[in-house]
Amino acid sequence: MAIKSGRGIAAIEYPTGMNQNGDPSQAWIKMKPDGRIDVFAGTSDIGNGSKTIQSQIVAETIGVPYDWITYDNSNTDSSPVCTGTFASRATFVAGKAVEKAAERVRERILEIAGKELEIDPSDLEIVDGEVLAKGAPQKKIGVPDVAGAATWTYGELITGDGAQLKPYAAIVDPETGEVDLPPHSAISYAACAAEVEVDDETGVVTVTRLVQVYDVGRALNPTLVEGQIEGGAVQGLGLGVLENCYPYYPSAEHRGGQFGSYLAPGFEDLPKIDTIIIENPSSDGPYGAKGIGEMANNAQPPAIAAAVFDAVGVWVTELPVTPERVLRALEAKAEPAREGRKVVFDSELSVNAVSQGGMRFEVPA
Amino acid sequence: MKAVGARLPRYDGIEHVTGRTVFVDDVRVSGMLWAKALRSPVHSAAIKGLDTSKAEAMPGVHAVVTWKDVPLLEYGHLSALGIPADEPLLAKDDVRYKGQPIAIVAAEDEETASAAVEAIALDLDERTPLFDIRRAFDDDAPQIHHWGNWYPHFENEMDRRQIRKGSIAEAFDKADTIVQGVYRPAAIEHVPLETQVALVVPEANGRLTIYSCTQALYFSLGVVAAHLQVPLNKLKVVGGTVGGGFGGKVDTATETMTSLLAQKSGRPVKWRWTREEEFLCSSTRAPWHMEVADAVTKDGWILGRKMLTLHDSGAYARFSPYGLTKHSFHHTGAYTIPNLEFDGFVVFTNRVPTTAMRGFGVTSVSFATELHMTRIANELGLDPYEVRLKNANRVGDTSPNRIVYTDPSTVAVVKALAGGMDVELAPEYAAMTRDQREGDLLPEHLVGQLGNPEDH
Repeated sequence: MAIKSGRGIAAIEYPTGMNQNGDPSQAWIKMKPDGRIDVFAGTSDIGNGSKTIQSQIVAETIGVPYDWITYDNSNTDSSPVCTGTFASRATFVAGKAVEKAAERVRERILEIAGKELEIDPSDLEIVDGEVLAKGAPQKKIGVPDVAGAATWTYGELITGDGAQLKPYAAIVDPETGEVDLPPHSAISYAACAAEVEVDDETGVVTVTRLVQVYDVGRALNPTLVEGQIEGGAVQGLGLGVLENCYPYYPSAEHRGGQFGSYLAPGFEDLPKIDTIIIENPSSDGPYGAKGIGEMANNAQPPAIAAAVFDAVGVWVTELPVTPERVLRALEAKAEPAREGRKVVFDSELSVNAVSQGGMRFEVPA
Repeated sequence: MKAVGARLPRYDGIEHVTGRTVFVDDVRVSGMLWAKALRSPVHSAAIKGLDTSKAEAMPGVHAVVTWKDVPLLEYGHLSALGIPADEPLLAKDDVRYKGQPIAIVAAEDEETASAAVEAIALDLDERTPLFDIRRAFDDDAPQIHHWGNWYPHFENEMDRRQIRKGSIAEAFDKADTIVQGVYRPAAIEHVPLETQVALVVPEANGRLTIYSCTQALYFSLGVVAAHLQVPLNKLKVVGGTVGGGFGGKVDTATETMTSLLAQKSGRPVKWRWTREEEFLCSSTRAPWHMEVADAVTKDGWILGRKMLTLHDSGAYARFSPYGLTKHSFHHTGAYTIPNLEFDGFVVFTNRVPTTAMRGFGVTSVSFATELHMTRIANELGLDPYEVRLKNANRVGDTSPNRIVYTDPSTVAVVKALAGGMDVELAPEYAAMTRDQREGDLLPEHLVGQLGNPEDH
C-alpha cells in the first residue's frame, strides 16, 4: 500500500460566441457635460468581470481614464439587447458592441473639438482625456471642455451606439453537419497538465499541481483572465474528482441536498496552479481578445484521469474519479479486449452491454 | 495610461468584498409577499387531481397559481433556433421529474406559504420512471415523453445530430489499430452562492418590475413576456449583477411564476429557493454517455473517428439540442481527423432537466476525446505530447463541419505546456508550427480535407 504519483495532460479548443451565432449584443454611450461617460449595455456580470472589461474597452477606445466610466447594466429599460452572459461571449461579442459604440463617441468628440480648435477632425487624436492636434500637441482641448461646448455652446448630445451580430450559421446539410458560415466568433485553445497522488489503499486522488496554458487572444485585463482560468481550474477539479449530483447514476436516489452532502471543491482541495498565458490575437474580437470563460474547466478532468492511470495503471472513465471508483478499478484490474487490430476498453459500460437491442455502437472490424 | 492590457481593479470589487453589493434577495419592498411551490414528490406520474381551494382559503394566502393561470403554458426557449416547446411552466397533465413545480402560492410569510402548499390536494397516479439513457431506445422502456424517449426535431425532423466527413470504412480499413472506449462524465450542480430568486413588483401603471438573477436580461425578458403574452414594454427586468451563474441562471427559473403571483395578488412577491431546492430541483449539468472508436496508425496518426453520444437531457429538452449540436461540432477537439461518423441523441429521462453549464456541450467531449488520446498514445507506446502535436489542427485544415481553421493554437499551447512541465520534445516536434501543412505533416490521408484559409 502506497501513495503513487502520476502526470497527465490534455489539449482542448473552445468556440467563442453562441454555437451557430445569431446572438446580438448592443450598447449605447452618452457623455455628461464634464466629459464623464455613461455606458449602457445589457450584459449581466456573473462574476466574469464584464463590467470591468467593457469599461476598459470604452476608456481605451475613446482615450479617457478608466475612472471616467460609469457602467450601467442594471435594467432592460435603459440598456439595449444583450443575448446574455454565456457561450464565452461577454468579452468578445458584447465587448465588440461596446467598442463600436465608443468609436462613435470618439468621432463625435473629435467633430466638436475640431470646431473649437478650427482643425479638421481627421488631424486630431484623443490621449488621456485630451484632444490633441496630431504633430502639434500644443494645440489641444480637454475632453471635459469638448463635452461642455457640446452641451452649452452647440446644443448637442455626444452619444454613440454599437451592435455586434454574426449571422446565424445554418446547417445546410443535416446528413453531414455541413454549415454555410463559421459557426462561432473565434476559437480559443488551452492545454493542461495535472500532477496527482493516488493512495492505492483508500483510493483517494489528490491533485497536487495544475499547469495550464491558455491562448486568450489578448489579455484585456491579465488579473481578471487569470481569475477566470484559476476559478475554472477549481471547477475542473470538482468535475474531475469530487462532484456528482447522482452518486449512483443512472439511479436518481441518494442526491446531496446540502453543502454537507454535495462535494464542491473547497480551499483545502486547491492544488498549486501555474498559469501560462499566450496571446495570439483574434482577427475580429475587441483588441484581439477571445472568450475563454467556459473552457477554463474543460481540460482538467481528462488530464487528471490520465494522471491517475499514470500513477496506478487503471483507467477510470466515469467522472468523478472517486475513491470508490479507483478502488474498484484496482480490484478489477480490467484489461481491454483485444480482437485482431481492435483494442476495446470499457465494454461493460457500452450501450451494447446494457441496451436490449434498441441502440448499438457498431465499429468496423 | 492604457486601459486595455492593464491590471485595473475590478469595477465592482469593493462592493463585493465589503458585502455591499445589492443582490435580488437584498431588495425588500413594502407589502411584499413570499412564494413557495408545490413540487412533484415523485419522478413520474399522471396528475389525476389538483385542488387548491383549501390553500386559497387560508388566512394570509393572497394567490395560488397553477397551469390554468398561465396565458402561454409552453414556450420554447430556443424557438428562434427551430427547437419547439415541450415543457409547461407548471405541470398540467403529468409530472416528469421529482421537484417539478405544480402550483405556487404567495402568502404573508414563507411559513404561511409553506403551510398553504401542504394544504393543496394532489392526486397522482405514479408511473415507472426511466433513468438509464442506454435503455431508452428499447421496446420495453417506459415511454416518458410525448415526443418519444429521444428528441426528434433536428433539421429535416431527424432524430439525431449527425456529422459525416470522408470515409469511415476506408479509415478503419487502413488502420493499424482501432482503439475503442466509453466515457461518462457526471451531472453536477452549478452551486451558485445566490440561489434562484426573483422579486416582482406590480407598478401602478400596470407594468411589472422584475428583479432577476438572470444571466441574460433580454433572454429572460422575452421568456416572461411570451408566457404572459404581453409586449416587452410591460416588463422591466432589473438585474445585471448575479451571485454566481455558471449557466444555471439562463433558465429563467423563477421570474415567470413570480410575475403571475404578483399579477394575481396585486402585491409584490418574492420567491427565493432554499439551498435544498437549488441542489435538488434546479437544473444541472447533463450526464453524458460517449463511445469513441479511433482508427490509428502505429506511428500515431488518427485516420478516422466513429462516435456515439447519448446526452441525458432530463425530463424536457430546454437547451439540450443546442448543447448536443455544439458537442458534435467539436468532437475532433484540437486536432484534424479527416474521416468522421458521429451520431448524437438527446435522450429524455425522469430526472431534473439539464441545462447549460460552463463549457456547455464541449466539457463532455473534451473529457472523452482527450482521455482517449492519452489511451491511444499509451497503447502505441508514443509520447502524449508528440501524438497531440502530430495530429494538431493547422492553418488550412477543416473542422468536422468543413470550416477552414485560420488561426489554430494547438501547437502553441502544447509546446508551451511541455515547456511549463520541463518536458523536452524531440527536435522535429519542438520545431513544429501551426503553419499550413507540407512534407511529413501532409500525409496522404490529410490532403483531401484541406481548405483554403482565404475563404474565411
